[in-house]
Amino acid sequence: MKRISAFVVALTAAVALFATDPVSAQQKPPLIVGAIYVGSVNDYGYNRSMKDGLDEMKRNIPGLKLIEAENVPETAESERIMEGMIQQGAKLIFATSFGHQQFAFNLAKTHPDVVFEHAGGWMMSANFGNFFGATQSAWYPMGVAAGKMTKSNTLGFVVGVPIGYAIGNVNAFEMGARSVNPKATTRVVVTGGWSDKAKEAAAAAALIDQGADVVTMHVDSPATIIQTAEGRGVYSIGFQSITAQQLAPKGWITGLGFTWGPFMTGIAKSVIAGTFKPAFVREGLGKMMAIAPFGKAVPKDVRALVTASAEKVENGFNPFTGPVTDNTGTVRIAAGESWGGDKMGSFDWYVEGVIGKAK
Amino acid sequence: MPRDAASVWRSVSAGGASFAFVALLSLSGFALLLVIAGKNPWEAYVDTVVYVFGNAYGFSELLVRMTPLLFTALAVALPARIGLINVGGEGQLYMGAWLTTAGELALQDHSAFVLLPALTVLGFVGGGLWALLPAILRALRLVNETISTLLLNYIAPLIVSYFIFGPWRSPESSSYPQSPAFVEAARLPTLFHSRVHIGLIFALVCLALYSLAMSRTRFGLEMRAIGGNPAAAQRLGIPVSRYILIVMFMAGGVAGLAGMAEVAAIQGRLVSELSPGYGFIGFLVSWLAGASAGGIVAMSFLFAVLSSIGDMLQITQGLPYAVINILLAGILFIVLGRRPVASAAR
Amino acid sequence: MNTALVLGVLASAIASGTSLLYATLGEIVGERAGIVNLGLEGIMLVGAASGFAVTAMIGDPFLGVAAAALAGAAVNLVFAYLVIGRRANQLATGLTLMFFGFGLSALIGRPFVGTLIAGLPKLQFLSLGSMGNPLLAYDILVYLAVPTAILIWWLLFRTTWGLGLRAVGESPVAAVAAGLSPGRLQYQALTIAGLLGGIAGAHLSLSLTLTWEEGMTAGRGFIAIALVIFAKWNPLWAIAGALLFGAAESLQLQLQAAGADVSPFIMNMIPYLLTLLVLIVWGWSRQAAAPAALGRNFVGVE
Repeated sequence: MKRISAFVVALTAAVALFATDPVSAQQKPPLIVGAIYVGSVNDYGYNRSMKDGLDEMKRNIPGLKLIEAENVPETAESERIMEGMIQQGAKLIFATSFGHQQFAFNLAKTHPDVVFEHAGGWMMSANFGNFFGATQSAWYPMGVAAGKMTKSNTLGFVVGVPIGYAIGNVNAFEMGARSVNPKATTRVVVTGGWSDKAKEAAAAAALIDQGADVVTMHVDSPATIIQTAEGRGVYSIGFQSITAQQLAPKGWITGLGFTWGPFMTGIAKSVIAGTFKPAFVREGLGKMMAIAPFGKAVPKDVRALVTASAEKVENGFNPFTGPVTDNTGTVRIAAGESWGGDKMGSFDWYVEGVIGKAK
Repeated sequence: MPRDAASVWRSVSAGGASFAFVALLSLSGFALLLVIAGKNPWEAYVDTVVYVFGNAYGFSELLVRMTPLLFTALAVALPARIGLINVGGEGQLYMGAWLTTAGELALQDHSAFVLLPALTVLGFVGGGLWALLPAILRALRLVNETISTLLLNYIAPLIVSYFIFGPWRSPESSSYPQSPAFVEAARLPTLFHSRVHIGLIFALVCLALYSLAMSRTRFGLEMRAIGGNPAAAQRLGIPVSRYILIVMFMAGGVAGLAGMAEVAAIQGRLVSELSPGYGFIGFLVSWLAGASAGGIVAMSFLFAVLSSIGDMLQITQGLPYAVINILLAGILFIVLGRRPVASAAR
Repeated sequence: MNTALVLGVLASAIASGTSLLYATLGEIVGERAGIVNLGLEGIMLVGAASGFAVTAMIGDPFLGVAAAALAGAAVNLVFAYLVIGRRANQLATGLTLMFFGFGLSALIGRPFVGTLIAGLPKLQFLSLGSMGNPLLAYDILVYLAVPTAILIWWLLFRTTWGLGLRAVGESPVAAVAAGLSPGRLQYQALTIAGLLGGIAGAHLSLSLTLTWEEGMTAGRGFIAIALVIFAKWNPLWAIAGALLFGAAESLQLQLQAAGADVSPFIMNMIPYLLTLLVLIVWGWSRQAAAPAALGRNFVGVE
């Protein structure tokens, strides 16, 4: 009886196999691009922004073929997936998450004819480039918005992984808030991972319990935190993708999003033309980053203030200009000194006004 | 008892036929599932075969994927022989990796001749000690080892995370939580310009030793006696408690070696995500293999192939990698359902 | 120690402990009948994904909870058939079930990742604490959790059915001699366990986070298995245990928000260390709180 049923299954499967159409011949695309995402592209966050950028690149170059894989962990598995894409003919690979760096770099060594672009790291080689948004200064205008909108003078910031760049984001945020509201303080909760929805909901709730009436974040997907904030009736500021606005019809103030499209299009075009040159690219507001539309709750004067602040940043304003004191009273950036892009990853202290320990 | 070639061939071919039947059935069933999901199973399987067997990289990755499973399956098989259930492979792997990293940080300035043996020993000891605690609790008849090893699986990764977020955090990579990269001398040598590393050799050696020990030594005999009937073995004078401690230590040590291989060969540093469930998959491998060394190699190979199918599904069909777990579970359900009586000493 | 912190932890503990409690109750029923299900994680995932999928498609979260319960029961019946009908090894089958549930839930949930749903509505009775901290504004599943625990307790310890079930868990042979049908009772137990496990998963996706993410239970199924032992297979103790574990989860986040300097990792270890400690202490004062015929090699240190 078992043998018969097994046979039937096998027969059905065989029929199914042959019943499906063979792959039809296609026109050869000008370029095959592979992309790996650390999470799902439907996260209203980081991965969404990467996907949007890649889609824009695809629209700008007719015929371009894009192979994607979601939920690729930051382990050796990513190397296999990328290798599989190269075998499918990819000549340009976007490794979109920080933890993919080493593995993409390994492959760059064994595949000198394939170009790799990694997001958020520092490694470079003849066929390996690095790009990211210059997020830190872009958080300053967000802080301005929060500082003006808060009534409790407590702001909440959920951080996924306390890397130097994330701490820098918090610092710029607090400095921006302080610049319009000297009493504003920021409380920080670290969840320990870039994407842990249950923890993010609990973290947001904890901040709100402690009095925060504006909540923001540096995690992969702002969705859960924004929804929690909206459910508790507090304001939220988004990060990673400007599409997150729809999650908080009442409480949305504004947000930061990445606009990767033009950069990615440029890289793809250079690969097609054979003119690719590896570079360490960090671009801020106006180029790789944009400010999300304002929510209904934001009054006109605040909007003007935030827009003005953003323009200042676009024109080169650097909030990390001394003197800057940390939250234990030590002066970290001396008067006259200025911390530039290369130091953004080295933050291990919080500015005055932030409640939390960075180390 | 000596076995003649004919009887060995019979049992091998019977095992092989059984294996083939199960594999064919599951692959067909899974193809059906793919069709229902609107995907093309033919493409997926062909792409996989090409990817895995059509080039050196694909095949070498199979070996890379197999290696940790060989270790963790042995970590389950060994205690199974004396009737113990070790589901703590995950935790033992992490602790092996942890102690290896501690050693690497302390001995960085030494040559490979010192580092590699030292790290291997530390990996073994790290995992072994982690398994020793449940062993002691079991020998003292306080806590069943299934639950204690299970609980320790959660504590070990937290210990690793604590260290890489704290005292061992690498300052170079913008304070990203990971340990500093291992020095060259601490990296396991690789074979054939691929990622296959000598950890594979270690694993095969361990399996060979295990097989020999079980079939030809007094220890193996006594272990099997305990596994068959612990009370009788105790009466015969076999020191059951001592075996519990030693066997669990060795089992944890083997899993610890898997951890050492992950940090010294694959990752090149200590990170928070070391294992996608190698410990649990090892349990299933060991169970499928009937705790035999040859079976462990065969089943680990099968799992590695399934893993590759998963990758291909993701890239060419856009399915989440996780659906490969359905295929995996399907195979196992069939096997589990076919054996009418499960006995402790397989 | 400010009151916001205490209330916050309590509120959080109740919210996250609910899912744990349902899962633990289901596992208690199954283990009282002699069957240990290591695949609880898989059941919860299938529940979470199914509940989310149905809610996303139909828009009714209550139907989502029902769907989750049924999906959980259906998958658990596969497990039941294997361990009862085919006498398969419970541990191996359970772990296989975990993998199965992981893959199946990923498949079910995939088309719905990122969909916005209106989750289970919150029913507010009182409002305590600052910021309108809704200490008593939870969804229906939270309010029903403790009554469900009491119901399970009553079923197990105050009904003939429960007596028969526990008899099967202690000694199937004696149960048969007494005229009971162990197989039928065990199937019933596992059906209940599946329903509760599915509900536990649904609470995660339809209330706590309003999302679906692969593997989102993050080990809660295994925590529940540990909780069963912590609770000495008693549904009433499970309430306390679930609250404790729920609190530990959220305590470190609340402490951070309050400005305390804690290591999240040390804090997260505490529930497991506590369970281990409790087990050691009880091992000392041993006598089988566990059903004697549980899972063959599972519990027994002879």
